[in-house]
Amino acid sequence: MTSVAHATPGAHGSSAHHAPMSFWRKYIFSTDHKIIGIQFLFVSLFFLLLGGLLAMQIRWQLGFPGQPMPGGGILPESMTSGGVILPEYYIQLVTMHGTFMVFFAIMPLLMGVYANFLIPLKIGTHDMAFPRINMWSFWLALTAGMIMLAGFFVPDGAPRAGWTMYAPLSARPDLSGATYGQLLWCVSIVVLGLSSVLGSVNYITTVINHRAPGMTWFRMPLSVWALFITAILAVLALPVLQGAAIMLLFDQTIHTHFFDPIAGGQALLWQHLFWFFGHPEVYILILPAMGMVSDIIANGSRKPIFGYHSMVFAIVGIAFLGWIVWGHHMFMSGMNPTLGSTFMVSTLLISVPSAIKVFNWLGTMWRGNLHFTVPMLNAVGFVSMFTIGGLSGVFMAATPVDMHIHDTYFIVAHLHYVLFGGSLFALFAAIPYWYPKMFGRMMSEPIGKLHFWLTFVFYNLTFFPMHILGMGGHMRRIYDPTQYDFLKWMQPLNRFITLAAFGLFAVQILFLFNFLWSLKRGKKAEQNPWHDNGLEWSLPSPAPHGNWERVPNVYRGPYEFSAPEAGSSDFLPQHVKLATDKEPAGSLQR
Amino acid sequence: MTHATATADMMHPPVPAEPGSGVYSNKLGMWIFLASDVMFFTALIGSYIILRFGVTQPWAQPNAVLNVPLTAFNTFLLICSSVSMVKAYAAIVDGKKYFLRPVPGKLLRDGGLKFWMLVTIICGAAFVGVQVIEYIKLVGEGFTPTGYREGSLLAEHALGDPVRFGAGVGGLYGSSFFTMTGFHGFHVTCGVVSMTYLYLTKVLPEKYSPQDYRGIEVIGLYWHFVDLVWIILFTIVYLI
Amino acid sequence: MTTEHVRPNYVLIWLYLFVLTVAEVALAFELPISRNIKLLLLLALAVWKALLVAMFFMHLKFERWRLRAIFMVPIPLAIILVLAVITEKIW
Repeated sequence: MTSVAHATPGAHGSSAHHAPMSFWRKYIFSTDHKIIGIQFLFVSLFFLLLGGLLAMQIRWQLGFPGQPMPGGGILPESMTSGGVILPEYYIQLVTMHGTFMVFFAIMPLLMGVYANFLIPLKIGTHDMAFPRINMWSFWLALTAGMIMLAGFFVPDGAPRAGWTMYAPLSARPDLSGATYGQLLWCVSIVVLGLSSVLGSVNYITTVINHRAPGMTWFRMPLSVWALFITAILAVLALPVLQGAAIMLLFDQTIHTHFFDPIAGGQALLWQHLFWFFGHPEVYILILPAMGMVSDIIANGSRKPIFGYHSMVFAIVGIAFLGWIVWGHHMFMSGMNPTLGSTFMVSTLLISVPSAIKVFNWLGTMWRGNLHFTVPMLNAVGFVSMFTIGGLSGVFMAATPVDMHIHDTYFIVAHLHYVLFGGSLFALFAAIPYWYPKMFGRMMSEPIGKLHFWLTFVFYNLTFFPMHILGMGGHMRRIYDPTQYDFLKWMQPLNRFITLAAFGLFAVQILFLFNFLWSLKRGKKAEQNPWHDNGLEWSLPSPAPHGNWERVPNVYRGPYEFSAPEAGSSDFLPQHVKLATDKEPAGSLQR
Repeated sequence: MTHATATADMMHPPVPAEPGSGVYSNKLGMWIFLASDVMFFTALIGSYIILRFGVTQPWAQPNAVLNVPLTAFNTFLLICSSVSMVKAYAAIVDGKKYFLRPVPGKLLRDGGLKFWMLVTIICGAAFVGVQVIEYIKLVGEGFTPTGYREGSLLAEHALGDPVRFGAGVGGLYGSSFFTMTGFHGFHVTCGVVSMTYLYLTKVLPEKYSPQDYRGIEVIGLYWHFVDLVWIILFTIVYLI
Repeated sequence: MTTEHVRPNYVLIWLYLFVLTVAEVALAFELPISRNIKLLLLLALAVWKALLVAMFFMHLKFERWRLRAIFMVPIPLAIILVLAVITEKIW
């Protein structure tokens, strides 16, 4: 037996804007966390598309080296010669593909979009702790993206040292050939860092101080836990990158000597600083995905998440251990082998909490009442692809093995399995899942299912063979593999991967179409289309400004699916009061 | 959140929520931001320590290039500004919104928020001023971010006494000195600007009260943090 | 809310800081102590001063441990980074 919901949705929050807002204040310079999340969504999807276009050009060159690229004629002479991609342009493509995907696509899609959109809705508050700072966070991120994009249009083009920008190549324009582009990269990273830090301060403060009455720590959905822990990682890791980028900027422009061995500097210092940031960064790129997948799988299985507490501790464990594994990116850098061994141990250890999570997802699905909706399909796809990516990670954690596969396509395969197979599939699940709450409409299920299956197939055809390439010695970032005899036999594999990649990119048209078309023509969404328990589903679709007039009380955790107390219903929302429930301590009933 | 009334105590806001950190959000947010700023200075200062540890040639000795007595005075100035900041905080907690008020039977008048905040801003600005003068002098003598400028006074000294002046790693010395102190100076400047803004828009019109002095406490935390970083920086850069 | 506490004597703390600073400068120049001990003493003095500012001016001494924890979290990270890279250099 369920009683009537207490939560009253309304148009006014505490920062009640009683006067009607202009278009600019409402949609462009908005302080509403939901609008800011949607702004991040549009901008990040643009950068995701851009990153994909860069990847297609990389794949063209690898699949058909030295051949004129279709459409290559429109690019300037500095990039292509008669349509053939030049080496100087190729290395820019490789560098910027990584940069845009990591910093301007995946990170903002997970944090900028979902931390912003979900946190206040799922913990039961009107908006973020600091709405204006939230707005600044978005505009800083967009500015950083524009600065980064400008790199392609300045003399000498974009930076050329890989997204990891190793010194001394990155610090020496005379060696790399990139002048203004390199400078812009450093400036953009500093600005983006500030955006991330400000955003994360907001997310952390909101989760700590603004949870609705009854929303205790262990009643929070795993998506919120993951976003919260990720924000802590971001707030501590990004400033280190900012510092490093500033030192690189100075080395490159005013000729300081931080990374200059001749003057007493250390080239390896850059690697240590970068990866000290870089490793927590990759956990920033996966943890929110894991959190959202947990919510979606519990929902799609109509079962509570298996091992909720161990899931939380696993997230904390991954975040904690993530600070002491950075050296595993540097096994071949010439660093002290003893230090290398300590990193090997810590890296092997970190696979344990990740594995716990995989087992718990499987345990959730086991004997569940599985509904394979588009979000559920993509979420299960996440689990399987992340497992493969994680397994290849275990190989790489062992230093003796890594000696052979470092900087080969084995690594490229691993990182794409966790970032695309992992994070991006999780986003393909999350976007249609919370689309109704964002836009008031549903994305098309048939197109979504077709998109999932085609993506899944083409994705594996593209990236799985890269493991083989890597084991065969195919190195990363190389312009023309056919120049080496020992790689020639794998060139057909390269061509195969290229064709599969073209297919993969083409299939994304379905997603783009589905996303844009459904904005206006999608089926109108009801309040709780997925029959989920989270607080956000107690609001209309789309959610109104200020969320609730009065924040709801919370009586239970978020995964009460198929609970006997719910009677005939197979879900029991967090805010619904049963006769047996007590009012929470901080309740509004006073 | 309930609409705050004029008498609501904003230092302990009556929001219906789960018990969180126990402090109001602005303060919590500033503490988290300061934790991130620690990481920023870790990158810069940590790199300095790493680089200095790794050099094979002797580093310049303290007071050879840098003017330690002047900077010691500057350190004193910043510490004084930190004291005046906390006095400003204590003043508004006690409700003393005024500038100066005579106290019967005492020679010195009692300072309120307006007085102590002004002292803080002046001392902070003076700190930046002294640092700018120091920079100008150093660059004039030949100490730049790239090292000892060729043909300059310091370059000559370095040739004469390479150990005392750390001639071999002068470039690294200049790089780290200007970057670390420069970014600290930038933080101080941001603090002075923010405090001036608050002073003009909130302190002078007496918008702070014992029921709501959040802005003072929060900017105070930032200011003390900047002082704290300088204490570490002064020791590591100027004295060691 | 902050626990009720006796307000610290800020002028006294200021005096401590002044004395410690003078001690530091004197130590750095005048006293003929071995370099390593001088280094340790200077660092200890700097940390002491920093703690005075954090505890009394930023009122950390009177806040709950949870707030202190926020500020303390970056410190082990900083130490790990610097120590790991320095030991790596000492090959």
